[in-house]
Amino acid sequence: MSESADQLSQGATALRLHRQLSAIWATGPGIQRLAAVNHSVIGIRMMVTSFVFFAIAGVLGMLTRVQLATPNSGFMVPETYNQVFTMHGSMMLFLFAIPMVESFAVYLTPKILGTRDFAFPRLTAYGYWCYLFGGTILTVSLIVGVAPNSGWFMYTPLSSSAFTPGINSDVWLLGVTFVEISALSLAVEIVVSILKMRAPGMSLDRMPIFAWYILVTAMMMIVAFPPLILGSILLEVERAFGLPFFDPTRGGDALLWQHLFWLFGHPDVYIIFLPMAGVLSTIIPVFANRELVGYRAIVVAIIALAFLSFGIWVHHMFTVGIPHLALAFFSLGSAIVAVPTAVQIFAWLATLAHGRPRWDVPMLYVFGFFFIFVMGGLTGVMLAMVPFDWQAHDTYFVVAHMHYVVAGALAFPMLAALYYWLPLLTGRTAVHRLSVPAFWLVFIGFNMTFFMMHLTGLRGMPRRIHTYSGDEGWNWLNLLSSVGGFVMTIGFALVVIDLVVQLRYGRRVRRNPWGSTTLEWAMPIPPAPYAFASIPDVGTSGGKSTASGDLATSLASGEGYLGSTRNGWQEALGVHKTSGVPDQLIVLPRPTYLPLYTALATAAAVLAMLFKFYLLSLGFALLTAGLFVLAGQSAGLSRDYGPLPVGRGVSVPPHTEAADAPAWLALICALVADGTLFTSLLFGTFYLWIAAPNWSAAIKPEPDLMLAVGTCVTLLVAALAARGSLRAVSAGGRAGGWIGLAGLALLAAIATAVWQIAGIVPHPREHALGATAAALTFYVALHAGIGVLFLISNTLRLGAGFISPRRVLDMRLTRLWLDYTLVTGIIAMGLVLALPALVAMLGGRP
Amino acid sequence: MRERPVPSRQLWWLAAGFTVWCSALVVLYAIQGIGCAFAWPTGTLRLWLAVALLVHLIVLGWMWRDIARASPDFGSGPTGALLHWAVVATLITALVATVITLGPPLLLTACI
Repeated sequence: MSESADQLSQGATALRLHRQLSAIWATGPGIQRLAAVNHSVIGIRMMVTSFVFFAIAGVLGMLTRVQLATPNSGFMVPETYNQVFTMHGSMMLFLFAIPMVESFAVYLTPKILGTRDFAFPRLTAYGYWCYLFGGTILTVSLIVGVAPNSGWFMYTPLSSSAFTPGINSDVWLLGVTFVEISALSLAVEIVVSILKMRAPGMSLDRMPIFAWYILVTAMMMIVAFPPLILGSILLEVERAFGLPFFDPTRGGDALLWQHLFWLFGHPDVYIIFLPMAGVLSTIIPVFANRELVGYRAIVVAIIALAFLSFGIWVHHMFTVGIPHLALAFFSLGSAIVAVPTAVQIFAWLATLAHGRPRWDVPMLYVFGFFFIFVMGGLTGVMLAMVPFDWQAHDTYFVVAHMHYVVAGALAFPMLAALYYWLPLLTGRTAVHRLSVPAFWLVFIGFNMTFFMMHLTGLRGMPRRIHTYSGDEGWNWLNLLSSVGGFVMTIGFALVVIDLVVQLRYGRRVRRNPWGSTTLEWAMPIPPAPYAFASIPDVGTSGGKSTASGDLATSLASGEGYLGSTRNGWQEALGVHKTSGVPDQLIVLPRPTYLPLYTALATAAAVLAMLFKFYLLSLGFALLTAGLFVLAGQSAGLSRDYGPLPVGRGVSVPPHTEAADAPAWLALICALVADGTLFTSLLFGTFYLWIAAPNWSAAIKPEPDLMLAVGTCVTLLVAALAARGSLRAVSAGGRAGGWIGLAGLALLAAIATAVWQIAGIVPHPREHALGATAAALTFYVALHAGIGVLFLISNTLRLGAGFISPRRVLDMRLTRLWLDYTLVTGIIAMGLVLALPALVAMLGGRP
Repeated sequence: MRERPVPSRQLWWLAAGFTVWCSALVVLYAIQGIGCAFAWPTGTLRLWLAVALLVHLIVLGWMWRDIARASPDFGSGPTGALLHWAVVATLITALVATVITLGPPLLLTACI
């Protein structure tokens, strides 16, 4: 009797708390949905959007298979075919694969970490809108017949204006860069949230393996995307303004594009694979009924994999004429990257071997993954061997390998994940009568399509050909590939039908139908907007487990941290990075239209650039920057609070008063990305110096020493003034003078940099030597300009009371930005000054 | 008794070993490119490459020895134990990767 009364009381408390939290966290109805910033909402939207792009890209893939099914096919004219296969690859990679794994990360990571949302919900929303608009630009270009047509890796000079004079390449360069903004912003968000927002007590050794995978992947994205962003910017600048970075007739080099592209492109394979490996490392132990074997070894393996994947980009360039010795570095690297991958495969097999595996639909797809990924991995080792690669390069063998490792490693774990986590979203399970045949159709169709490509490739069929004559011995293999493609498509269609049927007629399940131990199952299904009514303590769950459902009940009735509401705040907990001890109360922003407006302004800047309205584009870019500053005006708290109780006898300060606030780590991540872009620019300069023709014959550069030194000195003054303003605010004094001094110094730095660009010899349009000097100097000016935005934001927030002696984060961020600007400024100016000496050295070459 | 938290800066050590591997790869690739561009004699080029490789191996070996000895600093309960083990393992793995990927190629033709 008393137990039942307790349960009733617990239920009433849970219901009351649910209503209070829902009023604070829920996204509004109707048009207010556009203001959503919640990770569950954005995650689902991103997932749906990525699957729409998957469907479009899949149809394009089918069109290529129709074209190639028979020889001498007139189904598509060559120009249409070029656009179709280019868009198939570009959409699959940039609009489906990366966003899809990110959508899983966005939706699941906070839940698996036991927190309520990401650290920067508005950034999540901005990232989504950028992805949607960028993808839409690419899709519309296809409909109106001006889609990119130079292949998904856009090799120069084919993609340069000489050979692609229309806007096709511009669509790719601008659209994909737009989407990459989304990927980078989400990567920063993910790193910060995993390190700073786990459930209390979730020290690194207790962190679910999925979070390790996502953390490493997000860090890889922060380093991998900037080289491609730089390459895209340089190629767009070449196409729009004539600066010849990739034009060998004017001191550029087409191979520079390949280096920049594959510095991104190879790690990208692992950026796609690792989250899916995280899915497998989560699912397999659940179905094997035992803990994952080799947790620690897997952590080391994914760190090794992340680094090794960056060091082997040249294996995509084995045939471009690089000497044997250098080729061997990358050949051996490509071979040993299989080792950390194999560590994971064996850990999964050992988990299954030592457990008591049970079969269900997700496990079918796990089986499919093993089969396909091991085959793809083995052909990868074959291609890592230079002599074999020379024979197979640019044939369908590479197409087959690529689909086995990227599509296979992505599609099968993705479907396993969908079937595994759909009960979390819908509260229902799949209909086996549909899901099992769907699996077999996908599996058989996949192998039928892509296995044949190994054979056509070995028989010499080059990739990207529009048609073939029919006497090469490829006919029946191509026909089988095409038939397999349709079988696979029928399988995917059945999966879609199965999912729709599941939504409507699937068997209802209780919470946690698989008996998992991860925290995403310790919440109501489908999840509420606040995810957890109270935050669990992983270290002291008091014997309550996710698997039994006790923990969920306890959290729902507010027995964890933050089990009540306060001031209408969206509250989450910040923790120490390694130990998981609570160290701050993070107050998150409420739904707002600002991310949508900012993404619209960014889209307008991109579109204006695309249609060559450059001043208009600049105007929209400034508007975007202004909206970012505006977004900052409502961030944080406008007064000091001191330590606030967060439950279980713990009190912590709000994040605005904490030393290790999420924004600090976010800026460090952003600077790592920025620093990678800068390093890529330095690499590009040195690469052109050593490899491009015509540098020794160019007009001798004459950089202005006084202006270059002036730029560095003014940046130094700005950095020192930022320190002065931080000291002044910390001491309770006025910082206006220091901020003004820093602002003046930055304006002077911009002026001297622009003056230098105006006087660069040789002219940046005439020779890549001048173009690289202009790019380096512009980089400095741009960063000084962003520094001015930081100062404007500081001034506004000081006036509005968001900064106090205890809330000095803004000033610390400004100081960090200006320090970075100073260091990169000195390096950039130093290189510009060194260019004459470098060119003179070339004269001494034999 | 609550364990002493492992300082956040120790996380950087997880990347240390393979950062040295990356550095070795970039430096050797750059030396090879510059040496070939300026037609250095093969012996000189090979010597520079070997010296650069050796320096990186020494750095990795020194870090391994240093970290292996530093276990008390990492030893803040299971978190410290995990991080210490992972850092040592990444250092050893990076050392092996450096030897395998960058050692044997030095015997090959330098500039053809």
